[in-house]
Amino acid sequence: MLDSHVRSPTLQRRAPPGTPPSWESAFQAHYVELCEYVLRFVGSAEAAQDLVQDLFLRLWASRGPRDATRLTRPYLYVAARNRALKYLRHRRVVTAWIARAACEETPPSDTPEDLCLRGELDDAVQQAIAELPARCRAIFVLRRREQLSYREIATRLSVSLGTVKSQMWRATLRLRTRLAPYLARPVIPEDRAS
Amino acid sequence: MTEGIEASDLLRFVEGDCSPDEAAAIQAWIAADPRRGELLDELRAVWRLTGSSTRPWVVAGARIRLLPSRGRHAAQRSAGVSARPRSLTFGRAGHGPARIAAAIVCIVAGTVIWRVRPRAAPAREYATSPGQRLQLTLPDSSQVLLSVGTRLRVPRDFGVRARAVELDGEAYFVVRHDPRRPFLVRTRQGVTEDLGTSFDVRAYPQERFVQVVVAAGRVALRAGRGGDSVLSLRSRDRGVIDARGVLRATSGVSVGDYLAWTRGTLVFRDAPLGDVVAQLGPWYDVDIEVSGASRTDERLTISFATGSVDEALATLARVLNARWTRSGRIVRLTPLQRRQ
Repeated sequence: MLDSHVRSPTLQRRAPPGTPPSWESAFQAHYVELCEYVLRFVGSAEAAQDLVQDLFLRLWASRGPRDATRLTRPYLYVAARNRALKYLRHRRVVTAWIARAACEETPPSDTPEDLCLRGELDDAVQQAIAELPARCRAIFVLRRREQLSYREIATRLSVSLGTVKSQMWRATLRLRTRLAPYLARPVIPEDRAS
Repeated sequence: MTEGIEASDLLRFVEGDCSPDEAAAIQAWIAADPRRGELLDELRAVWRLTGSSTRPWVVAGARIRLLPSRGRHAAQRSAGVSARPRSLTFGRAGHGPARIAAAIVCIVAGTVIWRVRPRAAPAREYATSPGQRLQLTLPDSSQVLLSVGTRLRVPRDFGVRARAVELDGEAYFVVRHDPRRPFLVRTRQGVTEDLGTSFDVRAYPQERFVQVVVAAGRVALRAGRGGDSVLSLRSRDRGVIDARGVLRATSGVSVGDYLAWTRGTLVFRDAPLGDVVAQLGPWYDVDIEVSGASRTDERLTISFATGSVDEALATLARVLNARWTRSGRIVRLTPLQRRQ
């Protein structure tokens, strides 16, 4: 991102061939990305975490010889996706949304080359952020880089909660316009099977 | 159900700040008009460009929640890996009692070597062993994440007049700036002064240099304890004080690489094998020997995101075309024949 220290968690190294994946390593490597993925379906972090934790719990409870396939990234994604869709149906979310969510693709896993590519993009993003109006920028940076809550930002900058929310929304809309050329496709070439 | 929802609510939805019920209402609202879906896609794209995660997920908390249900057998199996603190959340701690509880458990699970000295003693010391990291909040609410094999001394009178700490090793600081009480990080070779900021200071005694990387804001770097020569660093700058006390700055560095460790990952870009091995050792708490000394100059681009030392070694060995063996903490890397 901006300075992108928040980016690293999606950086995964696929387990080298021949190394059987362990529950522990699968959890460390994929928990965050699976939460991110399920969040796209359910829209509530609380629900996303519950679903992913439940998945890992079941995997632990039923571990055995099939772990070699079940603890791999592709399997985990399919399992997480099925759980997310089941959750949406169970909660009787409108079918149009479920249909939309069903089209979510598995994000490609990162490699060092991806990081380089993103580094190039960083400049464009930095530039776009730098061009935001001062207060807008301050609020956006505190939120996205320092990951402060809206309330913490309001206190830190001595502005109202409403101002933080509206400035955040303005910043996002402006960035959407400024970064339009980069928004259309995922930044990462999708030539990797994952 | 969908009344009262505005476009700006999509932001909360993207960030996952909604309750399940709110999320369902917003989902219905989006589904009712294709243009809303397009807007959602674009907002998500902006989020993807400006950061990797949409929110700070509490990984350590989740692990700990899952641990009890995994039982004794689990604890035995994953001993060594699981005993390490993984305080990966940084910045906002999140809301709700569950999160707070998780945070407290993290700290307890951090197996902190926290020596509270007798009253007369001047400082509190926080230390991590190889393989451990530790997150701290200082009395002024500045946050510090200690990397492996690091020692941080915080004077008892911290914050009364000045805010000065002493560091051996590497730490990431997110400091609440206060011009009346400057925040100073003293290291063997120099002093880093915060001027409103997040920054990383690396000063391992065995490396004979001090490195400061600024993620946000400004920092002043002074060589020597007295500090005659000063370097002013801004966001994306890297300042180094070398063994002779000479200051150098590079701008526009990839902060993400330097701070990857705060998220549990080590990233090397075109780094000599010697450096990679020197950092992997304390990170995973092993001693790595490479036979064939000539190869320590070989340069690698590699990253390690795994908590398992064996996975990390297997990855390294594969890249090097080497064989590896580990017995306890001792690791031997033996290169196979030359690569074509």
